[in-house]
Amino acid sequence: MDLLANLATGFSVALTVTNILYCFAGVLLGTLVGVLPGIGPVTTVAMLLPFSFSLPPESALIMLAGIYYGAQYGGSTTAILVNIPGEASSVVTTIDGYKMAIAGRAGPALGIAALGSFFAGTVATALVFVGAPLLSSIALKFGPTEYFSLMVCGLVASIVLAHGSVIKAIGMVALGLLFGIVGTDINSGVRRFTFDLRGLADGIEFVALSMAIYGLADIALNLERKETSTSIVKAKIGRVLPSLSEIKHCIPAILRGTTLGSILGVLPGGGALLAAFAAYTLEKKVARKPRHFGEGDIRGVAAPESANNAGAQTSFIPMLTLGIPSNPTMAMMIGAMMIHGISPGPRVMTDRPGLFWGLIASMWLGNLILVILNLPLVGMWVKLLRMPYRLLYPSIVVFCCIGAYAVNQNVFDVYVMAFFAVFGYICMKLDCEPAPLILGFVLGPMMEENLRRSLLLSRGDPMVFIQDPISLLFLVVAAGLLLVVALPAIQRTREAAMQE
Amino acid sequence: MTRIKTGKDFWSGIMFLLFAVASLYFSRNHSLGSSGEMGPRYFPVVLGVLLGGIGLLLIARAILNGDEAVEGFGLRAITILVIGVVLFGFCIQPLGLVISTAITVVTVALADRGSRPVTTGLLALALIVLSVGVFHFALQLPLPVWPSL
Repeated sequence: MDLLANLATGFSVALTVTNILYCFAGVLLGTLVGVLPGIGPVTTVAMLLPFSFSLPPESALIMLAGIYYGAQYGGSTTAILVNIPGEASSVVTTIDGYKMAIAGRAGPALGIAALGSFFAGTVATALVFVGAPLLSSIALKFGPTEYFSLMVCGLVASIVLAHGSVIKAIGMVALGLLFGIVGTDINSGVRRFTFDLRGLADGIEFVALSMAIYGLADIALNLERKETSTSIVKAKIGRVLPSLSEIKHCIPAILRGTTLGSILGVLPGGGALLAAFAAYTLEKKVARKPRHFGEGDIRGVAAPESANNAGAQTSFIPMLTLGIPSNPTMAMMIGAMMIHGISPGPRVMTDRPGLFWGLIASMWLGNLILVILNLPLVGMWVKLLRMPYRLLYPSIVVFCCIGAYAVNQNVFDVYVMAFFAVFGYICMKLDCEPAPLILGFVLGPMMEENLRRSLLLSRGDPMVFIQDPISLLFLVVAAGLLLVVALPAIQRTREAAMQE
Repeated sequence: MTRIKTGKDFWSGIMFLLFAVASLYFSRNHSLGSSGEMGPRYFPVVLGVLLGGIGLLLIARAILNGDEAVEGFGLRAITILVIGVVLFGFCIQPLGLVISTAITVVTVALADRGSRPVTTGLLALALIVLSVGVFHFALQLPLPVWPSL
């Protein structure tokens, strides 16, 4: 574990002029997208995937990653100033953040959000640097049996930790797996579910599917909702830095948020959103009195903001080391890697160390850029909030169309996107979450492959999944999660948490 | 808020069931293989069974326990969007990026009831400039810009 060597490799890649520029572009775009209502990091990453093809893979991943955690910063800005969470993970920040803004303390709120996020980002990046090689070395010892069970466990965890009906989510996973195997079967060369369409011989284009669901269907849903007017806080923002005593006051909150966020980010289904919620809940219970949560307690901003940034960064760990996405944005990252011909998994670290460590190093760099960027630019972000959706959504449609065409210069993919837009719309209307579908889609071919190899090695004996100790462990955890979520008590807690 | 029998759960169940049937039917010509040597039909069958089970479960739950109604299923927005996308697909190769973008923007703007022709026109112009600038000049993507005569 040559930590120093890895750090050196990482920063040598991250600090090239090109990559700094892409990092900057990514976090800027991410903040923008986090501020704008109606479009989020998932949609943006989905839209940019086809275009990232023309970039070197390191730069592409650096930029896309920047969008994801940059959006966390952007989302908090609108949460505090306008009581509208730009990102789902900023919902919690609205509670105390907006109250602070009304009381004329918008500046310190924004400041502590930025500082807490930066601290969390630094810690999380360090964790990734240290933890990734550990995890990779363990994972390299996995055989197909362990891998299959790990994927099952990962999919189950993402279902359980997400919102909505568990049964429907399982169905969506299965559907995603099914869509994932459309195309030519590697083992037998047989074409499955292609209906003699040449465009499907290589499978359903990931980019077309993801843009259809997260871009187009999302627009359809947004258009159906009545538009509400946003009243921007007229209060002056004033000094953006919290006072030293306020910072000291927040240190425990930031530490707790960072810790909780780092742990929760790694879990499949986790990431920024879950981290923020959990951190706020924890802080409410544990923070030193006097507490003013709900009325403008600055720790109510510090804790979730640190947590959501830590969560966003550590959610890269399973993706980078195991090739298992813990949330849809990570699934997009895997898609981006696959577009560049890199198969995600524990080998990435050894096969492409520059990419691996460079990406991680760039995340810290991105955090730095964000802190420097955001504090002065807050005014500009606020003005952008006035961008009407009627200008935004046709732009998204056009970019999606161009993107879908540009991946393979194939008009067929545009039609595929159109088809899945309708499908995605129907699913979301029926409360079937698309995230498990995307995760299943990404993992589908690999799961089948691992299942096949595993059964081949065991001569057809399915018991091998239970006999192998590591595989058994994963399956027990998966079963346990399903059981836990089925308990009525947990169901009530989940629903309550989702309502908040 | 469970009221009717054929709501979200019911139709989700139907959807999963349809896909289950499709999975089993459209793989019928492939070999199942054995456990030790999975054929191309093996995984589709496994998934089909899983999907079918879930579909039936959801339908049963909807009928027995009551279901939530689907809210506001409006075909207008999604249909207009899809038409816009499909038109882009038709037009991009023969007519190029400039015209396709214009057509798509104008079509898709119809989904917004409050849109005005001038705004839409300006938006289309802006997007054309942006798209050609970014995708053709900056990123050098092989996209036809003008009609191929």
